[in-house]
Formats: sequence, structure tokens, C-alpha cells
Amino acid sequence: MPSSLSGGREVGAPLGLKNTLAGRDIISCKDLSREDAELVFRLAEGVNSGTIHLEDTLAGRRVALIFVEPSTRTFQSFYVAARSLGAEVLSIHDPAVSSIAKGETLYDTVKMIEGYGVDCIVLRHPARGSARFVAETTSVPVINAGSGSQEHPTQALLDVFTIKSRLGRVDGAKIGMLGDLRYSRTIPSLCYLLANYNGVEIFFMAPPLLQVRREVELYLSERGVTYRKAMAADEIKEVMPDLDVLYVTRIQKERFPDPTEYERVRGSYVVDAKLLSYGRRDLGIMHPLPRVDELSPEVDKLPNAWYFEQARNGLPIRKALLHLVLGGAG
Amino acid sequence: MSSESLLVRKIDWGTVLDHIPAWKADQVIKLLNLESLKQDPDVSVIVLHNVPSKKLGRKDIVKLYHYMVSEDEAKILALVLPQITINYIRDWKVKKHSPGLPERIVGKIRCPETSCITNVEREPATPRYIVMKEHGVIACEYCDTLLEIERIPDFLVD
Repeated sequence: MPSSLSGGREVGAPLGLKNTLAGRDIISCKDLSREDAELVFRLAEGVNSGTIHLEDTLAGRRVALIFVEPSTRTFQSFYVAARSLGAEVLSIHDPAVSSIAKGETLYDTVKMIEGYGVDCIVLRHPARGSARFVAETTSVPVINAGSGSQEHPTQALLDVFTIKSRLGRVDGAKIGMLGDLRYSRTIPSLCYLLANYNGVEIFFMAPPLLQVRREVELYLSERGVTYRKAMAADEIKEVMPDLDVLYVTRIQKERFPDPTEYERVRGSYVVDAKLLSYGRRDLGIMHPLPRVDELSPEVDKLPNAWYFEQARNGLPIRKALLHLVLGGAG
Repeated sequence: MSSESLLVRKIDWGTVLDHIPAWKADQVIKLLNLESLKQDPDVSVIVLHNVPSKKLGRKDIVKLYHYMVSEDEAKILALVLPQITINYIRDWKVKKHSPGLPERIVGKIRCPETSCITNVEREPATPRYIVMKEHGVIACEYCDTLLEIERIPDFLVD
């Protein structure tokens, strides 16, 4: 990886900070320090406020978007981010019309794309571990845009950015995570990134079948993060008044090995005005979207609804990340 | 003369893996580097099942004639079968070996997570694990899934 933008227009150092992400793979939030995240946030803030312009900084560069699983927000925001930074984009968005449908392996697909001279690969794939495998396969930086139910680090970056923007801080934040915590890829990444901040408390609110995975608990324990598990509806009501943020996740049918299990738990954790009445007036509601029936539309008009702003933040965050990973000035 | 020596004579050179729980010798074979074993035409493998044992009641023994188990193999055996005794034999002299624990394991074990990239057919991803002995688990380096050490035998690659 070049350490500076070789083909594009230099923009000087927008923040005057060292770019700690240049040439790096973004596979897991466990690999990101607080400083790495703050660098992305500061650049994204500048992009949002119009004080930093990254247009054309990736002119002459080539970004591959390999999406072997459905995606709306992540694909579109990476596509728009890369294009607005001036990069050429190669994309596989519909595996049904690519050689993947003919049984081509991920390994071969990546080797083929790499041969087209790409400078970065953004990957979404249903297999856990796929992003790390691809990073070992190719010499160009890989950004994980969702590896099955394992991780979704760029979502966590925009989530924490949203918390920081709305709360004015992340340290000491009390965050409830409700819904499908077991099969959600956003939950592990969010937990790993939050572990970089001081005094964060996490409340996992889910039925036992959908509770957070053991490796996430182990990581939080090792990093000294306080967390608690609330499983019964009464316990959830009890936790609600303590929360700054309630992060809701979709119960994902496709993650259940057994469809009867899915039918048994769907709709059991619904966020509506009634549940919000147990929380503080300024409680922020977040959701990685798409939602099904776990987040009532009646919440949309309340000031507590942060989720559309959260989704919008995907664009400046992914612009900042692509700029930095491809060696742009910090 | 012990019942074991009645069954199979002693060896003058090689490795004797003793105190294997009864009927678990197949796990030992799976944990060895079979390719390296097979490449040596002088190697013989003698497997004893269900031999009487003072310590275990019944046990298995694997004798590897003309094969010295490597340090990496010994560490994995000690992790998965903590009761095992590893004896190196050189010119009839027996030296008991107590290996440390491995930090990593490459191959040998199938990731228990069915959606792990290492379980995707035809993808050339070899499973790799970090050993977290203090937590009693190994962690897949690709997909982070944890596997309890005592469950490893259920996931040995054939």
C-alpha cells in the first residue's frame, strides 16, 4: 500500500493527525483502538459539517465492492462514498449474475478481482471469518462490510459516531442492546468498539435463545467492561430508566438454523411508545436497520428516534474510512 | 509381567502413548501428523484397546515404533487428552515427556460453527485456533467461535 495518495489530488492534512489506518485491513473492531476510531470520527464530522472536502482524493484509485449477501445501506453508502471520493468502483452486488452462481469460490473471486488492479476490497459475505480469510488471500487492504453473524465494523463506527454526536460523549454511556444479540453481526462489533471507552455499561436484553455470544462476553470481561444480562420482560422494564441509549436489532430469520425457533421468538421484544414510557425522556433509540416488527413506526416521530440519522452517518463514516485506509492524509 | 507386555512386546525405539482413556486411541491417531507417519516405511503403529490399568481401570495404549512424536504433536495430545503419558524410547531406555500446552493449533479440528469460512466447501481456509487454557476453550482465529477443550474430540478432522 502507498502511504500517500499516488493517483489522486492531495488535500493536505485536513486534521494534521497521523493516519494510523493507512493500508490496514478493517476486519474486526477488536483491532481498532480508540485513537483509530476518533480519527475516523473527526474526519467524518468535518465531512458532515462541510469543513473537510474529500472529493476526488481517490481519483485514479480502484475500489472493489464484493457483496455476496443482500445489502442496501452498506452497499449504497460504500458505493456513493467511493464514487464521491473519485474512485473507480468494481462491484459484485448480485451473486446470482456473477460466477459465484456457477460455484466459483470466494478465493478465486478475490484473486480475479485483485488481478484487475484494485486498491481496496470491501467485502460482505455470509460466512463468519470470510473477511479475515480474504485479507490473508490478498495484498490489498480489506474492509469487512459484514461477515455473516460475526462482525460489521463499519456499522459499529457509525453507531458510536452517532452516540458521540447525540450524547456529546461515549465515556460512561449506558447502552441497552435489545433483540437478537446472538445472530446480529452489529452487536459484537459495537461491543468491541465500546470497550475502548471508559466506564461504558452494557445491558444485554434478549431471551436466552438470542442472548449475546460467549466470545463477546469473554472479550468484555477481559477488557473490564461492565455488562449485565436482562432476559425477562420485567427485568427489561427495570433496566430502562438507567439507559442513555437503547440499541434495537432485528430478529433475523435467515440466521436461525431451525425456522420453528424463529417463529417462537419473533415479536417477543417490540419497542413501542409503551416500552419507551419506562425510559428517560431523552433516551435515544438506535437500530442498524432494516427493521421488521421489532421497532414500531410510532417511535419514528418521537425525538428519541435516532436511527435515520444513524443510517445517514454511514456515508461520512465510510468516506472517511476509505480515504484513510487508502492512505489519505489524516 | 504385566498384561500389556503379554499382548505386545516392548519396543526399543519410538514413542509409547499411555493412559489413553479406553477406546479413545482413534483420537490420538487423528491428532498425530499422519502424513509424516505414513511417509516413513519403517514406522509401525500398534494400538491396544481396553487394557487393564491401575490408574484408569481400563485404558488404551498407542505404540509408535520408529516414530518420535514431535513437540507440537505432544502439546496437542496433552491438551486434548490431559491424562495421557508420553514416553520416548531410545535403545530400550524410557524417558517420560511432559509437554507444555500449545498456544495455537493449526488444522486437526473442525470449527464447530457451521457458517465459518473454514467449513465452506472448496474454500482453501485451514482452521486455526488460539488456545485460551485459562478459560478452558480454544477460539477459531477466523470466526471467533469458542470450543470447550473437552469437546475437541467431537470435532477432530477424519
